[in-house]
Amino acid sequence: MGVMIAAFMRGVTRLNDVVGRWIALLVFAMFAFLLLEVGFRYLFNSPTVWTNELTQMLFGIYAVMSGGYIMAHRGHVNVDLLHSHLAPRKRAVLDIVTSAVFFIFTLALLWFGIDMARESMSSWETSYSAWNPPIWPVKLAIPVGTALLVLQGLVKLLEDIAVAFNLDYYTPEESDSEGEQL
Amino acid sequence: AAPAAAQDTVTWKVQSHWPGSSSSYTDSLGRIKRVLEERTDGRLKLQLYEAGALFKAKETFNAVSRGILEMGTISPSYAQDKVSLAGIASGLPFAFRNVWEAAYFHQNMGFEQMLRDEAAEHGVYWATDKVYPTEMVVKNPIESWEDFTSLKIRSSGALQNFLTEAGAAASYIPGGELYTALDSGIVDGAHWGASQGAYSMGLYEVAKYHVQPALNIAGTDVIIVSQKALDKLPEDMQKIVKDALNEQFWVRTNEYQYKERITLAKAIAEQEVQVNVLPDEVQDKLVATAQKMWDEEGKRSENAQKALDMLKSYLSDLGYL
Amino acid sequence: MSIEVLTLLFFGALLFFLLLGLPLAFVLGGVSVVFLYFTWGFDSFYMVASQIWGTMESFTLVAIPLFVFMAMILERTGVARDLYRMMHLWCGGLRGGLALGTLGICAVFAAMVGISGAAVVAMGTIALPSMLERGYDKSMALGVINTGGGWGILIPPSILMILYALITGVSVGQMFAAGIMPGILLMVLTAIYIIVRCHLQPELAPALPKEERGTWPEKLRALRAVLLPIGVVVMVLGSIIGGITTPTEAAAMGVLGALISAAVYKQFKWSILQEAAIRTFKLTGMIMWILFAAHAFSAAYQSMGAQELIEGLMNMVPGGPWGIIIAMMVIVFLLAMVLDPVGIMLITLPVFMPIVESLGFDPIWFGILFVINMEIGYMTPPFGFNLFYLKGIVPPSITMKDIYKSIIPFVIVEIIGIILIMIFPEIATWLPDLFF
Ligand code: NA
Ligand code: NA
Repeated sequence: MGVMIAAFMRGVTRLNDVVGRWIALLVFAMFAFLLLEVGFRYLFNSPTVWTNELTQMLFGIYAVMSGGYIMAHRGHVNVDLLHSHLAPRKRAVLDIVTSAVFFIFTLALLWFGIDMARESMSSWETSYSAWNPPIWPVKLAIPVGTALLVLQGLVKLLEDIAVAFNLDYYTPEESDSEGEQL
Repeated sequence: AAPAAAQDTVTWKVQSHWPGSSSSYTDSLGRIKRVLEERTDGRLKLQLYEAGALFKAKETFNAVSRGILEMGTISPSYAQDKVSLAGIASGLPFAFRNVWEAAYFHQNMGFEQMLRDEAAEHGVYWATDKVYPTEMVVKNPIESWEDFTSLKIRSSGALQNFLTEAGAAASYIPGGELYTALDSGIVDGAHWGASQGAYSMGLYEVAKYHVQPALNIAGTDVIIVSQKALDKLPEDMQKIVKDALNEQFWVRTNEYQYKERITLAKAIAEQEVQVNVLPDEVQDKLVATAQKMWDEEGKRSENAQKALDMLKSYLSDLGYL
Repeated sequence: MSIEVLTLLFFGALLFFLLLGLPLAFVLGGVSVVFLYFTWGFDSFYMVASQIWGTMESFTLVAIPLFVFMAMILERTGVARDLYRMMHLWCGGLRGGLALGTLGICAVFAAMVGISGAAVVAMGTIALPSMLERGYDKSMALGVINTGGGWGILIPPSILMILYALITGVSVGQMFAAGIMPGILLMVLTAIYIIVRCHLQPELAPALPKEERGTWPEKLRALRAVLLPIGVVVMVLGSIIGGITTPTEAAAMGVLGALISAAVYKQFKWSILQEAAIRTFKLTGMIMWILFAAHAFSAAYQSMGAQELIEGLMNMVPGGPWGIIIAMMVIVFLLAMVLDPVGIMLITLPVFMPIVESLGFDPIWFGILFVINMEIGYMTPPFGFNLFYLKGIVPPSITMKDIYKSIIPFVIVEIIGIILIMIFPEIATWLPDLFF
């Protein structure tokens, strides 16, 4: 049982890590497309219909897919006034309690994100701009990104449970306990 | 659900696609709110929300369709993936030449009913708020075809395609950056409604030429009501709502025309704006390009083809084709 | 339940869960969902998903990853470090010299961006490590970045000012012009504070020991370090002012400038770029998830009837015209703790503007007060977006408490600035009157 939980936790964290490392590279694409548009418009006086919209779509995916990766790296900021005075076990108990609020938000978002994506995919929705690209993949990114976040939240919950009740499927590493240095 | 009892008070949440400062927010939504409250003796109240307060403009149709919102205002283009006629409703370039022609097409030739039928499939009652022109403002007057084709224009949607096809360089810039873009010369023309829209966005501060004729004339503002919410009202109130919406179209179309003229006159007097009538040569070429593009809209659905054929025969009757 | 009670519960729940240590994004989102459930029902959760979609579609936010990426590259390649070394050599004798230099860079950065989150994070990246390395007190370093990074919405271009103009119907050009002098005023006041404070407590901002101040040839050689940053600034500002790009696209010019700088430093390496990209992803995502939830929160609060609350409050305010203006400032300041700027404007301006105009005040002047106040709201404890953005980039040794403490004197300085602008409206209105 413990082995399986540990494997699940490692698997989710690794998945988020891989996804994050790839999605992070989208910043190069956004940069390139914006620059391209400026070039086309300013140098050749022929703005494109697709660069800014494509940049926009990439940005949407980039932003919404970041949730799980950031959670895995303790990057969602919080107020640590109380946290910094608590012993690890008490902190874990507190985090277990407040995780209810986390799950209420992310599960509501997941539910309606799926709903929204399904509706969009039922008509293979396009943007109806001048370029008119399909936008359902961007809407689909909402439930996918949220699911990654929910999974990572589950990992965090399992960690907290392990710490709070001294279970042996997880031992916190030192570097893991505080926000890492950027 | 059972219809509400006759004496119950019902409050509808209404999401606008206009900001609160827009004249239409008070003139259209304020009016319908007042009229409905009066005629139902206060049994139906509208709680108005400004653009973006609860839902972004493009999400309002979905929210009304799901019955989360009871009412909303949109531009037909925000419902294009649901309503195949939305493209024609948001305006084919250089089709109508006068506002009354578009009004007649909607109300007397049955186009409004066709829209209403399509929207009904999504649980939405469709009522065009008004028909009005979309007109451009430019920094330098257009005096020749060359002037037109060397323009960089801020545009969106179907008109962006049209202007590009016609040879200008049309690009999309979000509303928040439009003023800066015009001011610094990233674009040298833009359309945001007609004179009231341009005035409200401060565009006349940086672009002094108001171009006529209109790029299109269309039912660009629509009031949508959730069928679910409508069905919950007692019969007499349902009738009051529908009648008020029908009346709204005529009142607002006329009033809007008046305000367009007043605003343009004010811009001319106070901000030294000039009306730039496109030379015949330019107009002819634009009309030719436009007509080639209309056929695209017909390809969306059988219904759209039917509406397009109806439009073309109407324009022939008017002697324009 | 009345909106007054709802407001207390809503904001109370927010503060409660924040203090318990749940990340801001999830507190905002979770509390919104719970309150939506009780006031509007299960189906209204669709609004949360819909607001997130709307935020993803907001083009002006694309500037955030690009400006952060630019800052990351400048920092990692050593361009920023050399810039601070140069400043230290030249202002070595002046106590607080680096803080003053940072303030100047902040002002330049503010002229490049129209939104505030990007500026705070980018300046934190560039300036914070350099100041801490040189023994600056962390309160001083954090305070300067928090306050200066916030000027992005006051010094044009500013998305907030455009929005204010759109909602109230005043001229965008006049708003932009009106922001310049108050921006300079705040800069001067903050600079005076830094100079006086560092003079009284030299340990906050240690001067460079005499023997390390370098010879003239060394100083002159160090000057080369400003060339690249100036080049980047010229590329960004030049392309905005010259009509080549919109402010959002200008962010891409900034990245281009940073990449050229990296090449000049012979640091144009995949490993460096990749690391910069990943750190950019982390920070942008942090900001964006806060924004996602904040937009849902604003929408939830508005659906509960926030505007009625403001109307009710305004009817209760005693104290004549000035009492009303001050009450409005306090309301904006309080709302800025928890709501995004668009939400604040949508809730308050329709109520405020008719009153402001009927009292005979200049809406442009009021707009400047409004924007500064919002900015102060974003940087004051216990709650403000800038505080959280800053927390996202600082090393683990710096806690939220450190950030809270650092900001107090800087807030007092900004409040003095706002009082000056209230007493002497000409500070805001002189330039627009001159130009328009
Ligand atoms: Na700015
Ligand atoms: Na605050």
